[in-house]
Amino acid sequence: MRKAGKKLLAVVLSLIMVIGLLSACGGNSGGNSGGNSGGEKIKLGWMGSLTGEQAAYGICESQTLKMLVEEMNAAGGILGKQIELIPYDTKGDAQEAINVAKRLCAQDKVCAIIGPNASGQCIAIQSVLDEYKVPDLSTVATNEKVTVQDGKLKEYNFRICFLDPQQGKIAGSFVKDELKFDKAAILYDVNDDYAKGLKDNFIKVFTDKGGTIVSEQAYNGGDTDFTAQLTKIKEANPQIIFTPIFYQDFINIHKQARTLGITLPMLGGDGCASQVLFDAADAVDGSYVINHVSLVDPAGDSFRQRYAEKYNGAKMELNGYMAHDAFQLWVAAVNKAGKAEPDAIAKAYCEVEVTGMAGRIKISPEDHNPVGKSGCVEQIDGKNKTYKFITYIAAD
Amino acid sequence: MDYYLQQLVNGICLGGMYALMSVGYSLVYSIMNFSNFAHGGVIMVGAYVGFFALTALKVPFWIAFLLCGLGSGLLAIIIERLVYSPLRKRHAPSLYFIISAMGASIFLENFVIATIDGTPRNYPTLFSNNITIGSVSLGLDSLLMIIVSAVSLLVLIFIIQKTKIGLAIRACSYNEKAGTLMGINASMVIFTVFLMGGVLAGFAGMLYGMRFIVKPTIGQVTNKSFVAAVFGGLGSLPGAILGSLLLGIMEIFVASINSNLRDLFVYALLILVLIFKPSGLMGKVVEDKA
Repeated sequence: MRKAGKKLLAVVLSLIMVIGLLSACGGNSGGNSGGNSGGEKIKLGWMGSLTGEQAAYGICESQTLKMLVEEMNAAGGILGKQIELIPYDTKGDAQEAINVAKRLCAQDKVCAIIGPNASGQCIAIQSVLDEYKVPDLSTVATNEKVTVQDGKLKEYNFRICFLDPQQGKIAGSFVKDELKFDKAAILYDVNDDYAKGLKDNFIKVFTDKGGTIVSEQAYNGGDTDFTAQLTKIKEANPQIIFTPIFYQDFINIHKQARTLGITLPMLGGDGCASQVLFDAADAVDGSYVINHVSLVDPAGDSFRQRYAEKYNGAKMELNGYMAHDAFQLWVAAVNKAGKAEPDAIAKAYCEVEVTGMAGRIKISPEDHNPVGKSGCVEQIDGKNKTYKFITYIAAD
Repeated sequence: MDYYLQQLVNGICLGGMYALMSVGYSLVYSIMNFSNFAHGGVIMVGAYVGFFALTALKVPFWIAFLLCGLGSGLLAIIIERLVYSPLRKRHAPSLYFIISAMGASIFLENFVIATIDGTPRNYPTLFSNNITIGSVSLGLDSLLMIIVSAVSLLVLIFIIQKTKIGLAIRACSYNEKAGTLMGINASMVIFTVFLMGGVLAGFAGMLYGMRFIVKPTIGQVTNKSFVAAVFGGLGSLPGAILGSLLLGIMEIFVASINSNLRDLFVYALLILVLIFKPSGLMGKVVEDKA
């Protein structure tokens, strides 16, 4: 009897393991089904975080692209061919991004890549792109080094969003000129290039305009307790807290600040703007986020509606808008080049101009960054779980 | 002055949570002489049980809280039966237990990623009010956490000091062989220890999730509570509680001076304790702290 019990247990356990393995595989290859169907299709790669802390962003990007590709294929595709989207998960990890980029270039032989959704990963994949000469068009990677490093242009890295210095400038101008605040505190992740870039540029612009940073506090990525830093900030008595970080920490910091009796608004960068914020709607109410595009702009209504219908009422993230614009630019570049070949597309990226969800996009051949972008500031309305548009501020 | 008082309160809140977690490490260590690193995974699963009880089942807070304890307690027993019990029967060295514990912890983490997903989740806001005394503020959730920590730890100490099974646990922690010879059912003692540690882990998981976040890697966050257990003296319950509170308070004050030194301080403390006073503040006589 005991022995039978043990055997049963062993069977059950191995079943559990097999199921675990299967579901893990399912997650990875979900987007790859129908691959190897010959050279008929134009292959477009995507990479980004489908798991991990930034999963909400990556999932929205890949779902948006999937929807747009399906819509385009239904309308006849591009250059008379169907498009095949090959999405891979980077797990939010730079090393994994390199592996994924290699797989897309060498194995899947895509003509172009869209993504990944974070600067660190974009910077990491440069050598792979150069080796295989495949262009990458990044959606929301705002770090300067994504396209130009040490004064040298990266041939195959492009982006459609504004940069950290510009975002820091938008933040500084907004606090000083729009809110008319003189005293700001900063709380940022000291291990994150994105946070540091924003912080430095915010301080520069804000103090140049006559503002004072009353307290500058840091934390290490992965920390979950911010009460020590927030108590110090409370002592310094600022009018606003600038938090150039990602949405998950943004939520945690708000929750803890409110329990400490800090009712100040905070200002986050584009890494904070997410629908996930409304999970903690009470805590984040009244704070501001900088964004690439207004999430409540009526011009995006049909786009949001199509997305919600396709994905069980899912809310559109910022990344969806940026993926939409990146896809538009890619389509324009393929049409301009007249063929779906990596080098021709890379060349065409700087020659075409499209008007996307986040305004006009024209990539400069000098630095592969878009020209003349502006940022938008929105306030979080926790009661109605939506954003309130405040203002547009030019990034240049 | 108020500033330091506020930081002290912050430290006690943090330490209270470490205490709930570190007691689980100490309980198991006191009987089985190894560090049960699967404890972090059990805490993580507790946080998920609470999250789904509140969001999917929509049960009231107290029921979710009890479900967390139940779920994690069960899980801790299952791990004991599946992973440690076979090793125990073979009289395997404690290194084997530690490696299996790490394996179990990684298994749990990946099992959650594979079955649920890796996306961090936020608990619904349950207690958004806060209490202000002078200029010291304390969130209701923090207050609740301190009360829950204190009550559960008192109940635990009561069980260990005043009940028959508690006597058996204490006897086995002194000398398991002699205890068994005196007619104590060692399996029963181990079962109880894992159950109690697991229930506390479930409570800690839910409190952690409410205050911070739920994600598969919470288990790694509990490393600091392990440091607290070593600092207080592995195997000693009062030591674990004292070590946790002191570690929480010191960590907050170090972070308030320079937040970059926070982890450096915690792990430097671990190394120093292991070098100079391996038995910790209130631990048993020097043994292998593995």
